[in-house]
Amino acid sequence: MPSSGEGDAAVAEVLRELVRRGLGEAEVLTKRGRSRRLTLELGSESSSFSQERAWAVRASSRRSSFFVAGAGELPVGEAGAPGAPGWTWPEATGRPFRLPEPEAVPPWTQPSDIEAPLIGESEGLRLLASLGDELAAELPGARLLLAALEDGSSEGELASSRGVRAAFRRRLATLRVEAAGPGHPGAGAALYLAAREAHRFHPKALARRLADRLSVAANGAPPGQLDAAGGSGAADPRGELLLAPPVALALLAGLLPLLVGPGAVARVSALRDRRGRIGSERLTIVDNGRLPGGALECPVDGEGMPCRETVLVEEGAFRQPLLAWWQVDGAAPGAASGCCRRASWRDLPAPGPTHLYLRPDPRLSVATLLADVARGHYLIDATGPARFDAAGERFELPVCGFAVEAGRATAPVAGAWLCGTASAFFKGIAAAARDLSFLPLDGMLGSPTLLVTGLELRPAS
Amino acid sequence: MPWSELDTAAVARTLAQIAELPDDLVDAYFEWREEVELPPEDEAPGLRIWREEGFAVRLMRGQRTWMASRDGIAERPFAEALRQVARALPPVGYPEPRVRAAPIPAGASGASDPAGAASIADLAHVLRDFPQAVARAVRAHHVGIPVRLTLRRHRRWLQVVGSRLVPEPQSESFYSCVLESQWGRHGALLPRLDAAAAEQIATAAVGLFRARNAAAVPPSFHGVAVLAPAAVAVLLHEAVAHALEADTLARGGRPEAAIGLALAAPCLDVLDDPAAAPPEVRRTSDDEGLPVSRRWLLRRGAVEEPLADTAWSRMSPALMPGAGRRGNRHLPPGPRSTHLELLPGGCAESDLLAQANGGLYLPAASRGGLDALSGELTLRFPHGRRIRRGALAEPVGACTLRGQVADLLARATAVGSERVAAGAGWCAKGGQKLPVWATAPALRLEAVTVEADA
Repeated sequence: MPSSGEGDAAVAEVLRELVRRGLGEAEVLTKRGRSRRLTLELGSESSSFSQERAWAVRASSRRSSFFVAGAGELPVGEAGAPGAPGWTWPEATGRPFRLPEPEAVPPWTQPSDIEAPLIGESEGLRLLASLGDELAAELPGARLLLAALEDGSSEGELASSRGVRAAFRRRLATLRVEAAGPGHPGAGAALYLAAREAHRFHPKALARRLADRLSVAANGAPPGQLDAAGGSGAADPRGELLLAPPVALALLAGLLPLLVGPGAVARVSALRDRRGRIGSERLTIVDNGRLPGGALECPVDGEGMPCRETVLVEEGAFRQPLLAWWQVDGAAPGAASGCCRRASWRDLPAPGPTHLYLRPDPRLSVATLLADVARGHYLIDATGPARFDAAGERFELPVCGFAVEAGRATAPVAGAWLCGTASAFFKGIAAAARDLSFLPLDGMLGSPTLLVTGLELRPAS
Repeated sequence: MPWSELDTAAVARTLAQIAELPDDLVDAYFEWREEVELPPEDEAPGLRIWREEGFAVRLMRGQRTWMASRDGIAERPFAEALRQVARALPPVGYPEPRVRAAPIPAGASGASDPAGAASIADLAHVLRDFPQAVARAVRAHHVGIPVRLTLRRHRRWLQVVGSRLVPEPQSESFYSCVLESQWGRHGALLPRLDAAAAEQIATAAVGLFRARNAAAVPPSFHGVAVLAPAAVAVLLHEAVAHALEADTLARGGRPEAAIGLALAAPCLDVLDDPAAAPPEVRRTSDDEGLPVSRRWLLRRGAVEEPLADTAWSRMSPALMPGAGRRGNRHLPPGPRSTHLELLPGGCAESDLLAQANGGLYLPAASRGGLDALSGELTLRFPHGRRIRRGALAEPVGACTLRGQVADLLARATAVGSERVAAGAGWCAKGGQKLPVWATAPALRLEAVTVEADA
């Protein structure tokens, strides 16, 4: 492994060489990462440890451009050429591009947990095994089909011929769980979560969530039908709906085209009411790449531009879409926010949310919202992907949960579709609770539990 | 081949040192891959190249597996990976056999792909020429429609070394193409960029265009559907291959319990035969270095030999390994299909249509999914045609075929007589993106339900 000084010299040499070849816009990314992956699957157990080291270069002249990426060291040959012997820079083709000018990055303190060691093999396997044990305790007969924990860290540097210099470190753990309920074939449920550290996954809480899902799926009746016990699964399908974060986020993920990129302005215009609002006063949507404690917290984006908090919708009023620096040209309102993500070293930076969330109300608990539901449903999870119409306005989302009367759950509901429009969803938000939760969807998307009216719960056809 | 400087015998001897118990299995997987992409003209940057090499070392003991992987191929990281897999302390020294990947000459290819012999610059020309060939093929359909194409050449070389087995190195070379138009999107894998490939992409583009104002499939359509070979390939991949992967079967119980089960109509004989795939992607061993076989998944509709890799064959000895595939060195192998074949029946396509009056003709599926627990299968079609009086009639819009796997496969009543290479695409099960190939004739399904998409 070369020292940082050697790495800097190699990067500088590559940039010089590219500029010498007439590629005035040149950028070099170097990245190193390591991760531990632990899996329990149907009686087998596996543990893997990987170390990755890679680089990516993109360069443009005034007329054409290229992108090259590779695993291993950034190789610098005698002529500054990368790659294996015989390798030369490819001929630039296609359209040219610009790189950003450097911008001052506001002070940022690196979170201490970024330095924490990766979870150990036995500790990680214990966490997964306890998840299975807790699930069996919560719902006898339920079993884990798959539990995969990945804990990784990475660091990298970015340098460009424009003078951008950025270094970043990241820490991310993900957990994928699939479980089956009692019986044969049992109902299924799955979770996919991300957090900065594996220790933040709590087996008991996760097992309870899975057990609720499995139990509702096994015993629930479609809305409008009596449940097996003769209770009322017949709460008003157009009544109040309490949407737990996974349900709200499944909708938000599908509605991102209304919030990201210059094209969002035209799409959002159809949602405006006479006062120019697109949502209720309870609707505030924010994106913040440097959200404290966020799984992807970082002071800069994938192009080295400073991340900052951007309010996209404020108390129902659309303020601006999420914009990268090159999308700010007056066509859409608002400022750039450092939102070009690189999914990996193999990917080009592309604008998108990092931590995009509906702002919670710290005064309201979920229990308070539930107590306020006179007749409606508490939807705890999405059981499949949402379907949107071609315009991205009307949606149907398969969900499960409970019928609610006078603030109490009266019957499990499954085989239900939450139907409505983007406009009805945004305008129907009557309250948001304080339980902001994030899920790894398109970036990290977050929402608290929402009390919503104006949507409809229909039985599956 | 990049493995001329890889001392496989020394690697095998070193691996043998960490196999402490009689049933321990140790292997090393070396890979070298390159992808070259030409995006649509209006996108920057232009030519995009990815080159990577690396390896993984694995130890299987009973039901446990340890794996260590690295980017780059060199002696010191290899010894470190061995130590990690053996869970040995750093002072334990393992030999450092010569493990280097030789440079690949710019155009070298292990496959019989003419473009494989080209340099990157020549390849760029080949990639640039293809959209023009597609445009010409589109015009031959008497329409002129703008399309955007993203083309990528994929090449991979791999060498597996076991402590007792060193199979022949393997290589693959193929192209992927993503077509975007204002009427929809179409993705395809192509063994080579020739006139037939251009015609295939053009046909897809024209199909999307002609279905732009198509009526929706009647609500709750229930009747006969004739699936063209490309659609059959996706059906087989989801309903037969995924359903008969050992890890999928294990979700419902013992995988070997499926053997002998009547899963489909007797007219369906389905095989997975990686050795019969197009020459550019043909394989003699799987990603675990085990010889591939002509594996009968379904013989006369009954399950004969589910797909298994080494790990699952150790857990269920009735299963034969040889179908282990991995997305890359950092991911573990899993049981997957490579090249599916549906054996032809005796029905000409005209006969399939003649007995499907009022039904639907579905030329290609854009997406498929199988719920491993419930057995529900979903196939999405971007467009189709009504069948009237034994001929293709008016187009219909996007629709979805849904049903239980066994129920759907039991509804197959006739298999076409003409097999074609069709339906190649990406499979993304478990986050491992793998190319899959198929050779299939058309197929008639009776009394199926097809829903119009929103």
